[in-house]
Amino acid sequence: MANRTIPRLLQTPAVLLLLVWMLVPLGMTLFYSFIRYVLNSTVRPEWTTPSWSNWRGFGNYEFVLNSKDFLFAIKNSLFIVGSILSLTVVLGVLIAVLINRSFPGRGIVRVLLISPFFVMPAVNAVLWINMLLDPVLGLQGIAVGAINDMAAGMQDAPLVGWFFNLWPVLEPISFRATQTSAIAVIMMVTWQWTPFAVLIFMTSLQSEDQQQKEAAVLDGASRWSQFRFLTLPHLGRPMAIVVMIQAIFHLSLYAEIEIVSRGNGNKNLPYLIGEFTNNNIGAASATGIFAVILANIVAIFLLRAVGKTLME
Amino acid sequence: MGSIVLDKVQKKFGDVEVIPPLDLEINDGEFVVFVGPSGCGKSTLLRMIAGLEDLTAGKVNIDDNDVTEVSPAKRGLSMVFQSYALYPHMTVRKNIAFPMRMAKVPQDVQDAKIEAAAKSLNLADYLDRKPGQLSGGQRQRVAIGRAIVREPSAFLFDEPLSNLDAALRVGMRLEIMELHTKLKTTMIYVTHDQVEAMTMADKIVVLQAGVIEQVGSPLELYHTPRNKFVAGFIGSPKMNLIEGEEASKHDATTIGIRPEHVSVSTTEGMWKGTVGVAEHLGSDTFIHVHNTGLDTGEGDLFTVRISGDIAVSHGDTVYLTPQMDQLHKFDAQGLRIA
Amino acid sequence: MAIVATTSRFSKIAWPTLAWVVALIFFFPIFYMVLTSFKTDADAVKPEFLFSFTPTLENYANMTENYDYWRFATNSVITSVLATLFALAVGVPCAYAMAFNPSRATKDVLMWMLSTKMLPAAAVLYPMTFLTKNVFGVFDTHFLVILVLCLINLPIVIWMLFTYFKDIPKDIIEAGKMDGLTTWGEVKEILIPLAWGGIVSTALLTFIFCWNEAYWTVRLTTIDAATLSKLIEGNRAPEGLFFGRLSAVSTAAVGPIIVLGWFCQKQLVSGLTFGAVK
Repeated sequence: MANRTIPRLLQTPAVLLLLVWMLVPLGMTLFYSFIRYVLNSTVRPEWTTPSWSNWRGFGNYEFVLNSKDFLFAIKNSLFIVGSILSLTVVLGVLIAVLINRSFPGRGIVRVLLISPFFVMPAVNAVLWINMLLDPVLGLQGIAVGAINDMAAGMQDAPLVGWFFNLWPVLEPISFRATQTSAIAVIMMVTWQWTPFAVLIFMTSLQSEDQQQKEAAVLDGASRWSQFRFLTLPHLGRPMAIVVMIQAIFHLSLYAEIEIVSRGNGNKNLPYLIGEFTNNNIGAASATGIFAVILANIVAIFLLRAVGKTLME
Repeated sequence: MGSIVLDKVQKKFGDVEVIPPLDLEINDGEFVVFVGPSGCGKSTLLRMIAGLEDLTAGKVNIDDNDVTEVSPAKRGLSMVFQSYALYPHMTVRKNIAFPMRMAKVPQDVQDAKIEAAAKSLNLADYLDRKPGQLSGGQRQRVAIGRAIVREPSAFLFDEPLSNLDAALRVGMRLEIMELHTKLKTTMIYVTHDQVEAMTMADKIVVLQAGVIEQVGSPLELYHTPRNKFVAGFIGSPKMNLIEGEEASKHDATTIGIRPEHVSVSTTEGMWKGTVGVAEHLGSDTFIHVHNTGLDTGEGDLFTVRISGDIAVSHGDTVYLTPQMDQLHKFDAQGLRIA
Repeated sequence: MAIVATTSRFSKIAWPTLAWVVALIFFFPIFYMVLTSFKTDADAVKPEFLFSFTPTLENYANMTENYDYWRFATNSVITSVLATLFALAVGVPCAYAMAFNPSRATKDVLMWMLSTKMLPAAAVLYPMTFLTKNVFGVFDTHFLVILVLCLINLPIVIWMLFTYFKDIPKDIIEAGKMDGLTTWGEVKEILIPLAWGGIVSTALLTFIFCWNEAYWTVRLTTIDAATLSKLIEGNRAPEGLFFGRLSAVSTAAVGPIIVLGWFCQKQLVSGLTFGAVK
């Protein structure tokens, strides 16, 4: 039928909603990023209302670029995202290969492994920073304490006592300092997202050509060669996708940073925007535009990869 | 009633013209086969008749009514798809009933028709199964059943047998032909298989690149192909087409001779060659002859079909003699010279 | 031959054991949280950590008193369910039209929709706060949370539904057309029954994403429409933390979702990779 009206009509609500959702706030951010706009100022009260007359050009961008926090937040964002990505991909491939065979209880293993992914980020952060990593009350504190006690107890033992006398008293690590809290964030997010990588790689491994593997066995390829020359190349595309999707999610990581690091100086871009938003909206908006640009760089690659399979 | 007239129908996908303006008349009760290589536009043409594809220009008339703008369901046609297109979530009974349910046919009439269709298609035992539990042939019958109960003015078949294995295909071919004799309803059947076309059709429409190359009865096409394309497409094994010196002896650019119109001798004949592969089918023997010195478009390979068996094997020298009264002649444009 | 046999016997035991160990390590934090939820706050921080305690249900019994849990949980349920339904109501027609009547723009529209998902939320934090507080006055309302949850998940909903719908053979829809189905009939008689499994898993996954959302639900609410994310986020401080009751409320917040997640882990792949990994 030549009638294209109905299909168009059916798409309209979704398209309109998303269009408004994207354009309006982003347009406002773009506008604010070019004007002087603060929430409280006794000296310059005219700056507290957004207006074209407060035009600042690229002033906010300059201000942001020159601020120490921005550079640190960018570096820290990249450090956190980069670490999570490498850890999840390596662990993901290893675990996926490990469970990509049949063994007793494989279904349960899968279920156990995937579970962390469904834990809400806020609970994830609270659970790790308090119950697992706290230097006194958390599992870390308890474990370190137990090891120290055991070493102390063994010092009077015959024959091996001298060994435990030389044993240093272990100090639990506090994960609430600037850099250690970044490590804590990396740990908890890796814990949460490794299952995702495993799931993707496993799905992809199941579509691996078994005849190709059999051919390789007949050609005399070892287990390692099969993995290196068949499995890894086969996983290339899923790896790229896992990396890109995670990059997009983790660049806007917020709840974990907020919970683990509040006030200790560990920050990423979204957190910095949150700080600026308390007063300097111009700077917050300029930072926001930088975040959009950063996300777009990743998104372009991801969309290209996804687009290829779209109409098959 | 079920006469269908296509009046200058044309189809473009974007800027690509897949079917240039085309005229065709299909009479009531005819079994018409659209045949051609894949991508020739035969399915598109069928779908345009069905109303599943809109026309870029032109008109479709069914029983003298212009149905160009009429929706598929209201054209009074039934279609059997290559994939059968059964509703997988409905039982066979519900599948067959579906078009009647849409047309709000009373329940008792529906039941009666389903019973009748199931009986004639040997589906009575399967009415409460779902399509997933049926074999390919049974699914095909359900699809036909769904088409029959609507009592359409014409049936449209879109390569209905191509998903079946060879043995079933022959059986279903016969069933469809019997159905046609019984119902005497117009049928339009699309296939790329010229054997199906030859065996089933009252009228064959040969298409290439959206253009009708020839319309005629199977034997017309076999005996008097209008051009080189039809000559090469209809008949199996393919007609030998010879160009060059040999053709100019007959005042033609190309001459064609069917494999079955050549006699083979080990001692003497018009053309000499070496046996390559000989396919012994029992009833027939196909001999592929090399080194004939003829310009056949495939090097100098020449195919011969001998009825019965003949004792030749790879490497033997044979002599070929065409039956001169069965020679087809074509001019530089590829058209038949009378 | 002998070597082959020994390696295979070794690997028959070693690899599965390793797999189990890895799985247990990954699951341990969740197990520890659930275990702790049955301890009193005092037991929870004792060095004899794992099993030396008397299990108690008091943490669960006191969830309302300690945290006003049910109020947040109710908000989470209401907003997640309604946002999911709303996203489906907008997404199903859209995905249907895209899958069965694709135009040349369809691919680009889908890509664009995905790209909206990739915008960092923080970039529009102030405009959103300003618009909802000062312009529309919907800050901290269920309506706002539902709308935002729906919008951020809409691209994924449409994308997942599109991949499911695309798997329905076009022939079947066309057969339906020949048999006299209207557009609505196609949706009701063919699309929904055939894609039911896909629609349900899309709904489940969307629900999970809504439930776990932790940026907008925290930043655009204070108390009236605050969800479980907000509740947990508010209890981040280590000082005076009560691990027993915190574990109970956390378990109550994530337990149902983890179980739901087990049922749709397969769909998760297509849902999160936008059909790019099969």
